[in-house]
Order: sequence, then C-alpha cells, then structure tokens
Amino acid sequence: MPVWLREHRWRQTASAVYLSLPVRGLRVTPASIFCTDRYLKVSIPPFLFEAILYAPIDDTNSTAKIGNGIIFFTLYKKEAAMWDSLTLANANKEKLQYLRENAVLKAHEKAKEESEAKKVTKQEHKKYALEATMKLEEAERKRIEDLKEKERQKVTKELELWKKQQEDSEKQKRVQKEGELHQEVEQLKERKKEKMNKTRVPNEGASKIRLKATKGCHGSYSMFSENLKEEQLPAPRSAATIKINFTSRVFPTALRESRVAEEEEWLRKQAEARRTVSADLSELEDLKEEEKNPEWLKDKGNKMFATGNYLAAVNAYNLAVRLNNKLPLLYLNRAACHLKLRNLHKAVEDSSKALELLTPPVPDNENARIKAYVRRGTAFCQLELYTEGLQDYEAALKIDPKNKTIEKDAENIRHLIQGTTQDS
Amino acid sequence: KIEKAKPLKCGTFGATSLQQRYFATGDFGGNLNIWNLEAPEIPVYSVKGHKEIINSIDGVGGLGIGEGAPEIVTGSRDGTVKVWDPRQKDTPVANMEPVQGESKRDCWTVAFGNAYNQEERVVCAGYDNGDIKLFDLKTMSLRWETNIKNGVCSVEFDRKDVNMNKLVATSLEGKFHVFDMRTQHPTKGFASVSEKAQKSTIWQVRHLPQNRDIFMTSGGAGSLHLWKYEYPAQRSKKDSEGAEMGVAGSVSLLQNVTLSTQPISSLDWSPDKKGLCVCGAFDQTVRVLIVTKLNKV
Repeated sequence: MPVWLREHRWRQTASAVYLSLPVRGLRVTPASIFCTDRYLKVSIPPFLFEAILYAPIDDTNSTAKIGNGIIFFTLYKKEAAMWDSLTLANANKEKLQYLRENAVLKAHEKAKEESEAKKVTKQEHKKYALEATMKLEEAERKRIEDLKEKERQKVTKELELWKKQQEDSEKQKRVQKEGELHQEVEQLKERKKEKMNKTRVPNEGASKIRLKATKGCHGSYSMFSENLKEEQLPAPRSAATIKINFTSRVFPTALRESRVAEEEEWLRKQAEARRTVSADLSELEDLKEEEKNPEWLKDKGNKMFATGNYLAAVNAYNLAVRLNNKLPLLYLNRAACHLKLRNLHKAVEDSSKALELLTPPVPDNENARIKAYVRRGTAFCQLELYTEGLQDYEAALKIDPKNKTIEKDAENIRHLIQGTTQDS
Repeated sequence: KIEKAKPLKCGTFGATSLQQRYFATGDFGGNLNIWNLEAPEIPVYSVKGHKEIINSIDGVGGLGIGEGAPEIVTGSRDGTVKVWDPRQKDTPVANMEPVQGESKRDCWTVAFGNAYNQEERVVCAGYDNGDIKLFDLKTMSLRWETNIKNGVCSVEFDRKDVNMNKLVATSLEGKFHVFDMRTQHPTKGFASVSEKAQKSTIWQVRHLPQNRDIFMTSGGAGSLHLWKYEYPAQRSKKDSEGAEMGVAGSVSLLQNVTLSTQPISSLDWSPDKKGLCVCGAFDQTVRVLIVTKLNKV
C-alpha cells in the first residue's frame, strides 16, 4: 500500500497553476514524475501523490522544479480559466482508473512520437554530413584531375612542338642534300662536257647521271658513308660453340616458386610408388620374373583391353595392384575395363582410388585426372545417379575446358536430369 | 601492311645502321629474317636458325650505338642461343647449345651487353627453368650462371655499349632481380637485389635510353611500373678472403599505372624523346605513352 502525500499547496493565475509538494528527505528523480494533460503523479516508493487535474494542461511546456525537500510544479493551463479546485472532486474509482490508463497510453504515444521525430532528424543530419563529405572529396578529385589535365596539355604541346622540330630539321637536311647533289651534278656535267668533246659517249653518261640523281637523296648519300663504315667494321667472328648445362627440372613446364611444394610432393609420391613392391605373397614364387613387374603387367593389361579381352585385362591389373597398390594408372585402366564389363560399382571404386592417388594436382597428371573423372561420371550415369555423374563431368571440364566431347556429354546429362525432374 | 607466311614472334632494329633500317625478325617456325621495309617481298637475309619458335631476338652494333660488328642473337624453344652476323650466311657465329643428352629447356629471352669496344661482347640468356647464363663472346665461354627460382621472362642490360653495369632480369610470379655487373666474385657471382612487384608475371623490362638507372616493367595484369635504382655508398667490398664482391643497391617504385586487363607483353622507349614509349598488349592494342617529370627524378 502506498503512502499518500497529501500536504500539497497550490495557487493559480489565469493561465497557470503553481503546485508545491513537500517531499522531505526523499530522493526525487525526473523519473518519479509522471504527467499527462489531465493527470499528474509523483511516485517515490513507497510514497505516492496523484492528482486528476480539474482541467487539461499543456504538459509539454509545464515544468517541475525539484528543490531541497520540495517539488515545485508550474502547470500551464490549456484554457485560460480559473479552476475551482486542483483536482476533480467527484472522482470515482472507475473514472480514476480510466483516466490513469488513458494517461499512460497518451504518455506512451508521446514517447513514440518523440523518438520518431528524433530518428528523422538524425537521418537528415547524417545525410547532410554525407553530402558535405562527398562534396569535399569531389572537390579534391577535381583538383587532382585539373592538375593532371594541365600536365597532359602541356606535354602534348611539347610533343607537337618537338615533332615539328624534327620535321623542320628533316626538311632542312633534305634541302641541304639536294643542294649538295645539285652541285655534284653540275660538276659532273662540267666534266662530262669536257669529256664529250673528246670521247663522244653522251647517252651513257647522261643516263648514269640521271640514275644517280633519281636514286634518291638517301641512295647516293648512304653509299658514300657505307663504304667508309664497311672498312671500319671488324670481320665476322670465327664460329664457335659453347656447350651448356641446365639446372635440372623434371617437369617440362616453367619453374614457378609457388608451385614448387606441390611438384616436390608429386615427385616424392611417384618415387615411392615405384619402389614399393609387396613381395610377401607366396603365390608369386611360381611367376616368371617379368610377370612380377607391375609395369609389364600394366602393359599386358592394356594390350588385352585393346583386343577386347576385358576379363583378362582385369586379371592382369589385379595382379599388378597386389604387387604395387600405389600406381594410379593401374586403377584408372581397371576402371575402364569395369566400365566395359558393366561392373559399374567397381568402376566407381577404381576411379575414386585413382583420383586419390593423383593428388596433389599438378599439370603433369592432368590427363590422368580428366580420364578418372570421365570414367567415374560415365559409371554414375549408367547407374542412373545423374547428379553425381554431372559433378564428375564438370570437374573434368574444369581441368580441360576446351574438350568438346566432355562438354557435349555434360550437356546431355543436364538435359536428362531436367527431363526426369520434370516428370517426377 | 605487310604479311608473311609464318607468324612473327620478335623483332629488333638493333643491328642495322641508321640509314639502312633493316628489321630483323624471328618467327614461329624458327627462321631468322632481315627485311628491308621498303622492299619487303624478299628478305635481305634469311636462315632457318632454329628447330622451334624463336622466342627472343636482340641486335647490337647498329643504330650508331656501340662499336664492333653488327650481330643478332636469337633464343629459341629448342634450348639453343645463336649469334648471327648478317654478313655471314647460313651458319651462326656462335652457338650456345645443351650438352649431348641433356634435356633442353626453353630459352625465353636474350640480350647483348658489354659492347664497349670492337672485340668485347657478352650475351645474356634467360630460360624457363629460372637459369640465367652469361656468355662471353670474346673468349667463347660461359662466364656466369645462376638460377632465380622462377622462369625468366626478360633480361636487359642497362646499356649495351658500355662496360656492363647493371642487368635486370624479370620472371614469373611478379619478381625481378637487378644484378650489379661491375664486380664478379669468383664463387658468388654478381650481387643482386630483388623486388616483388605484383602478383602476375613481369613480361618485359626496358631501361630509359636517356637515364640508365630508370627502367619500366610491364606486367601480366596490364600494368606498367616505373622504377629507379639507387647505387649503394660503396659498390664493391672485400669479403673474408679478400676477393672483391659487389654490393647491390636499392630499387624504388616511382609510379605505376594499369592500362589494360590483359598482359602487356612488350614495351620500348623512344631514343629521341625522353619519356615517350610504346607498349603492346594482349588486348590487341598498341598504346603510346608519355612519362613526364623524368628530369626531376
């Protein structure tokens, strides 16, 4: 039960009501005061003061001053009229309740409105700030652009000037040369005239001179200088060969530092694979020497595959795998046999094993990887697992995007998938 | 417009005189041809120099630069580097080939250097396995070799016609090395500084003809980077045994620009106008650029 505060004093003018409420010793904060246009409440637990006001007030402009031991309210009336009393006299419980609730709702709405208004102003401020910074940046950019533009123009002008200079100097040179040639021609003519009087071979002489002149400025001029230079150049060198060695590199591709780690791993794996020969199988003792060599068995298998004897090929590969289970090509080729024999699950297994062994992916084993993906994809499709098949085909396509057959097959599978999903 | 039967890979004007202006080209079939561009139907000089594509060509002795006989060097996928003299038909003047039985590596780039008098010449070749080899043509021997761990895309001396000063080698994986060629240590070779410029291959490097400490590299991401080399306080010092050892300086990036999304595979400076350069890229464009403020570098 709250303790009601009743010792309040009030006085009024035409437009305002002054209410003073003693609150000795109590800590009053702005939160303890709640005011709407018809309802005023001060709540400092366990003390409570509430008043249902005689007439509506302007609660936004009204103030409350919290002084030492007393709260002084200045409430501005909405209508300028004299109040009979501070509170409504005939206030029954329901009305009170209703008014209270109303008051709370109104306060709520007001709060909401205020926050909305705040938000809007904040947005506008942000926008303004953004525009201001944009303008600044724009100005900076423009300044730099202008500088660049000026520089550009200056340089193009210089370039034009320089070009013109070159042309002028060329022209001058040409004129000079022509002048010189002319002089030479004149001299020769003079001499020729003298000769003519003696030898009488006019046509030949004239044509020779004309030839010289029409050869062009460059021709005769350069002939003179060439002769001079030829004598200064040393003779061609005597032929010799220098033998060189290269830093060894296993891969035919260029050396790149970022790929070195992968390449080393691949080489190591290959080396290991070639070395491991599990020789603890007693049945191997009655095999011939060559039949113990996985490579030879692989070749044998390949030959039998070529002739169509798939079962025999599978046998050969099986034996090879027992001897050395790290050669990816064995699994790859066995997968192909299984495909032909329609042992589709085995084909999938073998292709997968081959792919496992073909890591890390280097350009060296690209072809093998493509084959593995394609074979596994085919097996999946024949098992009607089209999505997995498509995945494998796309992986193959990623390694070699230019292969048209793979592309076509991938397309077909896509159509098949779309066809089946439409039906179902 | 002139079209020939086989596609051309590389060309140079380096070995012709300023008046003749013959263009030497290497093509995809391994033929070295020298053309007179005014009469391009038949080459002035032609030889089937290599069994496979000629990847790179360089010329020296022409253009009024340097002294000595005009020579052309070609490097090919068949692993050999051959030096030709346009006055001698059919046989190369020098041939750098792998030892019998050695598997061959692609030679990706060649460059001449050290042509400061009539006898001295040096050829530098870079290979796809990261080897760089320096051949001395006066003594006809291998003078130095090293491996920079990435395929070598381009090598160039800063000047062909002086006592060899600096050599820049660019490679895959965005790295390039600058070697100080003035001091050769008997075991350690030449000192170098290396820089990783970008993530993609650096296709070519070219020094500015007017300032040999500035060079530009072109990259696989379509960008050009302009670098300046600064010499160290002392270019050589003595090591623990008293042998002379070179000291490499430092390289700093002056500017870079991205022009294209495709690699810029070739680039060259104009010898006449400082800062004028031209580059060709895989997006089938040829761009002419001008670099300013090179005087203030």
